[in-house]
Amino acid sequence: MGPDQRFLGVLDTSPFRIAIVYSIVFAIGAAALIYAVDFAVSRVVDGSTDNLIEAEVQGLREQMLVLSRSDFIELIEQRSQDQDVRGAVYLMVDPQLRPVAGNVPAWPKVDASAGKWFLFKVSVPFGDETREHEMRAQRFPLPGGYRMLVGHDVQERQNVKSLMMRGLITAVVLTLLLGLGGGFWMGRRILAQAGAISAVATQIMRGDLSQRLPVRKADDEINTLAREINTMLDKIEQLTLGMRTVLDSAAHDLRTPLNRLQATAEGAMSSLKTGSPERRVLESVSTEVDQMRSTLDALLRIALAETGTVAREPVDLSALVASMVELYAPVSEERGIVLESSVALGAQVQGNRQLLAQALANLLDNAIKFTPDGGHIRVVLDGSGSAPEVIVEDNGPGIPADKREIVLGRRVRLDEARKFPGSGLGLSLVAAVTKLHGAHLVLDDAGPGLRVSLKF
Amino acid sequence: MHILIVEDDEVARDYLAKALREAGHTVDVAGNGMEGLHMASSIAVDLAIVDRMLPKLDGLALVQSLRATGRKVPVLILSALGDVDDRITGLRAGGDDYLTKPYHMAELLARIDALARRGDTGNAEASTKLKLADLELDRMTRRVMRNGKKIELTAREFQLLEFMMRHSGQVVTRTMLLEGVWDYHFDPQTNVIDVHISRLRQAIDKDFDKPLLHTVRGAGYSLREDE
Repeated sequence: MGPDQRFLGVLDTSPFRIAIVYSIVFAIGAAALIYAVDFAVSRVVDGSTDNLIEAEVQGLREQMLVLSRSDFIELIEQRSQDQDVRGAVYLMVDPQLRPVAGNVPAWPKVDASAGKWFLFKVSVPFGDETREHEMRAQRFPLPGGYRMLVGHDVQERQNVKSLMMRGLITAVVLTLLLGLGGGFWMGRRILAQAGAISAVATQIMRGDLSQRLPVRKADDEINTLAREINTMLDKIEQLTLGMRTVLDSAAHDLRTPLNRLQATAEGAMSSLKTGSPERRVLESVSTEVDQMRSTLDALLRIALAETGTVAREPVDLSALVASMVELYAPVSEERGIVLESSVALGAQVQGNRQLLAQALANLLDNAIKFTPDGGHIRVVLDGSGSAPEVIVEDNGPGIPADKREIVLGRRVRLDEARKFPGSGLGLSLVAAVTKLHGAHLVLDDAGPGLRVSLKF
Repeated sequence: MHILIVEDDEVARDYLAKALREAGHTVDVAGNGMEGLHMASSIAVDLAIVDRMLPKLDGLALVQSLRATGRKVPVLILSALGDVDDRITGLRAGGDDYLTKPYHMAELLARIDALARRGDTGNAEASTKLKLADLELDRMTRRVMRNGKKIELTAREFQLLEFMMRHSGQVVTRTMLLEGVWDYHFDPQTNVIDVHISRLRQAIDKDFDKPLLHTVRGAGYSLREDE
């Protein structure tokens, strides 16, 4: 796995997905929270300034009724200068909208449709510079076409609000990042654990039943699962070893009497003259024992391959195929069969050399047996590296398409093949050995002939 | 040769003992593993034939115990189990050769012979030149000469001849050749070994009066000088 794939792999893990979902849910929640806070703050802060303005307007209206214009103007000027009432703004204009009194330089342009409340901006000195501050204000008419504006600086409120917003948004973004980061980290952890599990599973499938999944101390669900799988593997190992024991006793119980039979026949033969009828009978007994032995060997090897309890090691497939071709070359040449081969170098598989050799030998035995004199056999080892393919092809009679599946079963001999010697277990053994090595066995038409492919 | 047979199957043991005595060996027998270990440790035997599945003490455990006490006596293990792996475990336990039941007496005798002479041929193993009559094989230069004439052999024929020369005078079976030269442990359905031998015979015997490579009926082949 390259780094990119590993990264993409993490994105596919369930913890990372859960983290994404939770981050989205959290973001929506945070947005709702921000909205609610904003709403509440606005109500409290705006409410209090509005009350202030409302009270001031009320006061001025009352003063307006009792004071002369000049006294009113003075009052406005006084209020405008008052440092205690920070942020309060006043403006009194004449009918031509010229300022008469107050601390706002000009009557703001106000949309006629706006109600009594409106917002406007004023440049306020701030140290050496001036800043635009937002004001919330009410206006009301004065006698003689004069107008009055009373307002309050709400810039600070805006500042507080935007500060709060920024704080909240930063918090949300940080939380999202932490959530995604945490999800990614968890995903990697899970991926590492899953990777360890699948590595062990691969070894187990290759036949190393003693392997167990790594279990950490923590009691989380993965470790619990791993422990349970390990218990299951213990059972499988016991069962497989049990099968092996049964196989061994079956072998013992069959080989021992066969051995006695062979010993007895050979012992009796040694005292008989060559060519005598009795000796010929015993010779045929001995030949039958040989035949039974080779069938028994094949059956046991098939069963052994099927239990998967065979030791495996790296096998140089290139060398093996080349050596098998070399072993069979003289015998095919004697039959006038051309044994052609093309063997790629450097192909290696994890497996059992003896069983692989036996499988190849069976294929070559078959090819030589069924190919007519002067025929043609081709052995190919294709593609070096991790997925080599071995092909054995002949131009014999082949196997009809509808019977190819059947011949891989045990002891199936097609009627056409009965005139040839053999136990009928050759291809079954090839099939079992192929399966043991996790390879694919394909029988095909070589047009004419049989094409057997073992793809690792 | 003094041979110890440790085998619990009476029929097989008696026949084996009889056949070995007929072949001129002195034979002692044991019917179980403990007795076998005791005899192998106390009697100076030249070779032991040990069945793998024995009562009281398993055949493999017997061989292991024997090796643990430093006894180097050649051991041939007889097995009625499967094969493939059993052969490896048998040899790893300290066995020198391994034969699966049922076997032919000729096969067993040939293997006993090879095991017994392995000690003698220790020198031949080390020396680079092997010689039989007028046939010479140089393992360093990979050259084969007969009667001063160079003989061209393929790499495999050379290996085959080398194996035969190291076992010259002995009977070598087809399975011994397949194991010793190709390192394969199965019975080919076709007579692959015979054809290889006949090619080798063509190469070394064809142009010469005295044949060196002989067929031993019912057993295998033998490379020897006929007197």
